[in-house]
Amino acid sequence: MELNILHLYPDLMSLYGEYANLRVLCRHLAVMGVQAAVQAVEPEDAPDFGSADMIYMGAGTERGQKAALTALSGSAAALRAAAERGAVILFTGNAMETLGTSVTDAAGKVWHGLGLASYTTRETEKRVPVDVIAKPVLWDAAAVGFMNKCSVTAGITEPLFSELPLGFGNDAERGAEGYVSGNVFATHLTGPVLVKNPEFTDLIIRRLYALRGWQLPETLPTLPHEKEAYAVTLRELTARIQK
Amino acid sequence: MLPYRIFSRLIQYKEGDAAMRMVLAILVCKILRFIGKLVGKGSSLPGEYALKICPDILRRVTLPPYIIAVTGSNGKTSTVEMIAAILRKSGKTVVYNEEGSNQIEGVTTLILCSSSLSGKMRGDVLLLESDERYAKLSFRWFHPTHFVITNLYRDQLTRNGHPEWVYDAILPAIHPDTTLVLNADDPLVSCFANGHEKVKWFGLERCSVSTVTPQGVYDDGARCPVCRGRMAYSCYHYHHIGHYYCPNCGHKRQNPDFAVTELDLDAGTLVIGGETKIDLAFRSIYNVYNILAAWSVCALAGAGKADAAAVINNYILKNGRMVRFTLGKHHGTLLTSKHENSIAYDTNLGYIRNTKPDCTVLVIVDAVSRKYFTGETSWLWDIDFDLLNCGQVKRVMLCGKYVNDLAMRFDYTGLPPEKTVCYETVAEAVKDLQENGSEDLYVVTCFSDRDKLLALVRREQ
Repeated sequence: MELNILHLYPDLMSLYGEYANLRVLCRHLAVMGVQAAVQAVEPEDAPDFGSADMIYMGAGTERGQKAALTALSGSAAALRAAAERGAVILFTGNAMETLGTSVTDAAGKVWHGLGLASYTTRETEKRVPVDVIAKPVLWDAAAVGFMNKCSVTAGITEPLFSELPLGFGNDAERGAEGYVSGNVFATHLTGPVLVKNPEFTDLIIRRLYALRGWQLPETLPTLPHEKEAYAVTLRELTARIQK
Repeated sequence: MLPYRIFSRLIQYKEGDAAMRMVLAILVCKILRFIGKLVGKGSSLPGEYALKICPDILRRVTLPPYIIAVTGSNGKTSTVEMIAAILRKSGKTVVYNEEGSNQIEGVTTLILCSSSLSGKMRGDVLLLESDERYAKLSFRWFHPTHFVITNLYRDQLTRNGHPEWVYDAILPAIHPDTTLVLNADDPLVSCFANGHEKVKWFGLERCSVSTVTPQGVYDDGARCPVCRGRMAYSCYHYHHIGHYYCPNCGHKRQNPDFAVTELDLDAGTLVIGGETKIDLAFRSIYNVYNILAAWSVCALAGAGKADAAAVINNYILKNGRMVRFTLGKHHGTLLTSKHENSIAYDTNLGYIRNTKPDCTVLVIVDAVSRKYFTGETSWLWDIDFDLLNCGQVKRVMLCGKYVNDLAMRFDYTGLPPEKTVCYETVAEAVKDLQENGSEDLYVVTCFSDRDKLLALVRREQ
């Protein structure tokens, strides 16, 4: 069994060790007997979304994000088609913002988004670097992680997380965060969000199996240290809330 | 609280004339600093009160002819320490924030406590280690004559945002009259020269450490900071620091005014300007840049080459980032890195990789920061732990609260799993070392965690 994963702009859009999301996902898949080929896409490349099972982009600087948007502008229709086909799309950090209809930068300039969703983002002068505990809509265990944003996103009716006991949501502290529609997942959680949250990894694997029509095994693999690392982070962040 | 009562009385004079306010601010600052020293308080509070009495006090005082500021992601403290030593050797009186209070309140305390009541600061040189995010506040009322910017890279992203965010924060702190002393080899730092007339460059020429491909887990030099085009490098010194050129927009490394022209880290020597040979007490590429930055600005401030060379030759930093100790039969070296700073880690891991005798390496991640809380560990994935995949490293011990995150990260390196051992606490790891083995020991951790080790070992002088 084989899968094709596109990693968009790993140099431009990878501020927080995001590559690890794909390393961990691929190792889980390998344990399940799936060979996942990760192809790095550079801004000068024309991405082949037609054959991709999964498309991933991580966080960049605000200027890096605009460069990514510019590079992707000619491929927006192909990306939308991939989403309609059911390809798994995961955009984390400020890559999330690019999936909406627009990003207005701190100087007031409006940048057209990729249009996979109808939300809009406005950058702010204030930065919000904060630990996060999030209540997922699609799985049980609380998600943990970190966000490092300077923006407010409005118009999301289908959040990935219903509320954040700790952290800043799409447009409000502790409010709903992220976006999900079908197999399109977006969250401002940065860094290796899949590494930190084994249940999110499992969800992505289930969606990939469903896309390919493969029979899912009864149990998904657990790799060493993952659950323990998650438990410690959740414990520490929960204690933080209770202080 | 006594300081508050004193302040409350004195603040009534706030409506008085400016000269009176300045005198009061200086007086209050000196008194509070005196009291603070007696009770062991920090150096920010006196400046904070002084600024409330006279908000523009830093514009009113008469400062020394040389005001040197140093900022950047890494190397500030070490560079400032060496600058002070060189300038003092060359006969100048230097006032600087040795306690590291590098925000405006601490800077105010430093200046006012070194000033007469008439507002004249003593000394030939005011030397400031400046927090990169708050430099614009410190330099609102005065500006440095020389502003050294060492480097900008991923450092405490939970606090700092990211390097471009820090760049944008520093930019308003730069006055047109200030001479910028910039690292020519850092493509983002070199952007500060755009539109600025007074610039001096320092850099490392191609040498034995140079590589033709980027080193490290990530490549922040891949994209031009000006146009985002793909950058070309003729050589890398470490990470994105090297000789770069953007074929798209022409952004490129400038020829340095001050250069390390030869470097042999194995032998522990470098040559500045083709003529001055320096022996390195600490054979790290970091140390090379810190020395060069100090050399450059000291030359601009009038220090002689002989004095500078005499000071930095085999200079052992006093800031204690490298500590030698004994633990059981192990001879240990603590290499203080900074959590959330992958390049600091990589530099220390590279140092270990260049050693020869068999050794054990202990990595501690217990508290991510000593100043604030965070459970953020994504930075572990930016560290090139594969540097420890070398013959002399016989064992890697991982410990601390985030040992599972560490262990998971190591699962994705090329190190054989049997080389890695995990401990929940520093004490458990220390106990094992106390009872077993006699090989060299290197400990890599942060200020936030190092005392947990040092409390359990015997420090060597």
